[in-house]
Amino acid sequence: MADRSLDYCGLKCPYPILKLSALYPQFKQGEIIEVIADCPTFEKDIKAWASKLNKTILSIEKMGNKLKVTIRI
Amino acid sequence: MENHPCPYGGYLKCKNFFCEYGNALSEVLHYCCDVLEKIAQGDTSQKIDIVVERNAVQKLINSINKVSEELSEIIELTHELAIGICEHFDVLRRLQEGDFSATASEDSSVEVVRMLGQLINKQRDRFVEYINKIKEQHQELIQSYEQQKTIISSIGVAVIVVEEDMTIEYVNEEFESLTGYTKKEVEGKMKWTEFIAPEMLHKMIEYHKLRRINPSLAPRQYESKLKDRNGKIKDVLLNVEMLPYTKKSIASIIDISERKKIQEQLIHSQKMESLGFLSGRVAHEFNNILTAVLGFSGILYSKIEDPQLKNYVQKIIEASERARDLSKKLLLFSRKEESKEDIQEISLNKFLNEFSEFLKPVIGKDIELKINLPEEEIFYKIDRTHLEVIFMNLVTNARDAMPKGGELSICLKRVSIDAEYSYTHPLVMPGEYLLIILSDTGIGMDEQTKQKIFEPFFTTKPKGKGTGLGLSTVFGLVKKYNGHIHVYSEISKGTTFKIYLPIKETKLKHSIDKNALKGLETILIVDDDEQTRGYISSMLKDYGYKVYEAKDGQEALKIFERNKDQIALSLVDLIMPGIPGIEVMRQIKKIKPEAKVIIISGHPVKLKNIITVEKTISPEEILFKIRNMIDGKE
Ligand SMILES: Nc1ncnc2c1ncn2[C@@H]1O[C@H](COP(=O)(O)OP(=O)(O)OP(=O)(O)O)[C@@H](O)[C@H]1O
Ligand SMILES: [Mg+2]
Repeated sequence: MADRSLDYCGLKCPYPILKLSALYPQFKQGEIIEVIADCPTFEKDIKAWASKLNKTILSIEKMGNKLKVTIRI
Repeated sequence: MENHPCPYGGYLKCKNFFCEYGNALSEVLHYCCDVLEKIAQGDTSQKIDIVVERNAVQKLINSINKVSEELSEIIELTHELAIGICEHFDVLRRLQEGDFSATASEDSSVEVVRMLGQLINKQRDRFVEYINKIKEQHQELIQSYEQQKTIISSIGVAVIVVEEDMTIEYVNEEFESLTGYTKKEVEGKMKWTEFIAPEMLHKMIEYHKLRRINPSLAPRQYESKLKDRNGKIKDVLLNVEMLPYTKKSIASIIDISERKKIQEQLIHSQKMESLGFLSGRVAHEFNNILTAVLGFSGILYSKIEDPQLKNYVQKIIEASERARDLSKKLLLFSRKEESKEDIQEISLNKFLNEFSEFLKPVIGKDIELKINLPEEEIFYKIDRTHLEVIFMNLVTNARDAMPKGGELSICLKRVSIDAEYSYTHPLVMPGEYLLIILSDTGIGMDEQTKQKIFEPFFTTKPKGKGTGLGLSTVFGLVKKYNGHIHVYSEISKGTTFKIYLPIKETKLKHSIDKNALKGLETILIVDDDEQTRGYISSMLKDYGYKVYEAKDGQEALKIFERNKDQIALSLVDLIMPGIPGIEVMRQIKKIKPEAKVIIISGHPVKLKNIITVEKTISPEEILFKIRNMIDGKE
C-alpha cells in the first residue's frame, strides 16, 4: 500500500506534476506515493518528472480513462 | 443522381467515410466537434483529413487542424516549463536542505528555464565558495585561538581570567605551579579573593570594582601578596587588564619573591661595604694609637728594672699586640690595606695540594678532607696570603660546625656564567669565573644567621672563641678581587660556600712562554681551505717552523712520500673533498708508522686515539699542542 494517495482527476496537465512538486518537501525519503489522474498526457508528464528528479516509477495502472501511477520518492 | 462522383454510389451509408457525399454535412460537423473536444483535452494528435468541396466546411476543417498544430506547440512548451520548474524547484529544495551536490540541469529547450538552471548553479557555486571561505576563516580562527591558548599556557607567567563575581574562569599551567592548585580545582570553582593575602584583599577588591566602572580608575600594575596552597605568602606583581567586550579581567602574575630577596641582598651588600669602609677607618686610627702604645711600652719595658713592673708592662705589650692583630684583621676586611703591586699568578692546584697538608692538623682526625681539583691547571693572579686567609677562615668555620666530625670537601673549577644565571644573581656579571666550593656536613645555620654571617663581629660562638671577623674578612678579600661569595646552608645538613673569582685573561697567554712554542722542524699542513691553510702556515713559519702545504689528501700523500724523513708532524683537516682526513692520516701512518699527525677540524670532535685540535682555538694553543706532540708529551 502506498503511504499517500493523490487524486488529480479533472486536472489538466501539467497541473498534476506541478502540484506533486509543490507537495514534495513534505514527502519523506523512500515514501511511496500513488497519483491518480485522467489527463491524457499525464503518463508522459509523470515519466518525464520521475526521470528528471531521479525517482522510480513502481507501476502504471490504467483504470478506464484514469491512470494510477505509483512512485518511490 | 447518375453522375454521382462517388465510386461507391449512393448518398447514405456509403462505405467511403471521406466521401463528401457519403456523409451528411451534419455528420462532418459532428466529427469536427469530436475532434475539437479531444483537442481541448490536450490531445493534439488529432487531425481531420477529410477533403470537402464545400468551401466553408473545408475552411473550418483547416482551421481546426491549425488550432491543433499550434496548440500542440503551446502544450509542448507548457510541459517543458512545468518539468523545468519542477526540476529546479527540487534542486533548490535540496540546496536549502544543505545538499550542495544538487545541480540544476542546463539542457532545457526553453531558454528561460535553461538560464534559470545556470543561475541556480552559479548561485550555488558562489554560496559554496562563500561557505568554504567562512570555513577557512573559521579554521584560521580556531588555529589562532589554539596558538593563543598555547602561548598563554606556556608563557612562563601565571595568567588567569577572572569574572566579575571574582570566580576564576581560566588559569594556565604556570598558575598551577605558582599556587599548587590544579586547573580542575580552580576553574569555575574558586574565587580570586581566596588567593590574596588578607592584608591585600581590600585593595584588590577595590581595584576590581573600579576597573569595571572604568579601566583607567585602577592601576594596571601593582604589587600584591599571594597565598598558595600551603598558606605560603608570595610577593607578586600583578598586571591586570579588562578582556574586550566582557566584564572579565585577565591578570598576569609574576612571582617577585626571589627578586625581592635579591634586592635585599643588594642592600645588604651595600651595607657591608659601608661597614667595611667605616671599620677600616677605625682600624687605621686604632693602628696608629697602638703603634704609639706598643712603642712607648717597649721603651718603658727596657727602662724598668723591677721584675713585677716589667711583668705588667709585658702584659700591656701582649694585649696591645693582640689588639694590633685585630686591627690588622679589620684592615684586611675593609680592603683598605695597601695592595701589593707585583702579585704573581699562582697555580691554584699546586696551592691547594700544599695547603691541604697544612690544613690536616687544623681540622683534626674526625673530619675527612676531600679535595677535588680539575685536571687542567688553574692559574690565578692572587696574593697567596689572601688565599690562605680565605681558606683558613672557611676551613676553621667548617671545623667548628662539625664538632662530631664529618666531611669537608674543597672543589675547584672553571665556570662560565651566562646571562641567565646573572639575571637571577644580579651581582654576578656574565663571564668566565674561577669557582671555589667549600662544603661541610656540619650543623648548618638558619635563615637569620645566614643573613648576618658576613657582618663584622657577628658570631654565634662563645665569647673569647670567635671574634666574628672571619667571614667578613673573607667577604672583603673576595670583593677585593671583584669576586662574589654565596652561601647555601641547611640546618643539621651542612653548609656550602661558593666563591666566584673572575678570570680576566686566559691562562695560556700567561703560562706559555712564547719561546717554548718555537721550533725548527718541518710540518705538513693539509687543508682544502686556502685561508685556513695560509693562516696556519704563516703562523708556523713565524715560530720558526718549515712548512709544506697541501690542498688535499692526494697532494699531501705525495709530499709526504717524498719528504717522510723530514716531516716531523702533519696537520690534517678532518673534512676535505676527496680523501677524508682520517684516511689521509692512515695512509701517512702506512708510509711511516711512527708519523705524528694532528687532525684539525672546524668544530670540536672527539675521536678515539686521535689527537684533534679545533681551528678556532688560539694560535698559541695550536702551537702548544704541536710542540708537545713533537716533543712526545702527548
Ligand atoms: N660552615 C659553617 N657552618 C655553620 N655556621 C657557620 C659556618 N661558617 C660560619 N658560620 C656562622 O657564621 C658566624 C660567623 O663566622 P665568622 O667566621 O665570621 O666568625 P666566627 O667563626 O664566629 O669567629 P672568627 O672566625 O672570627 O673566629 C659563625 O659564628 C657561625 O655562626
Ligand atoms: Mg670563623
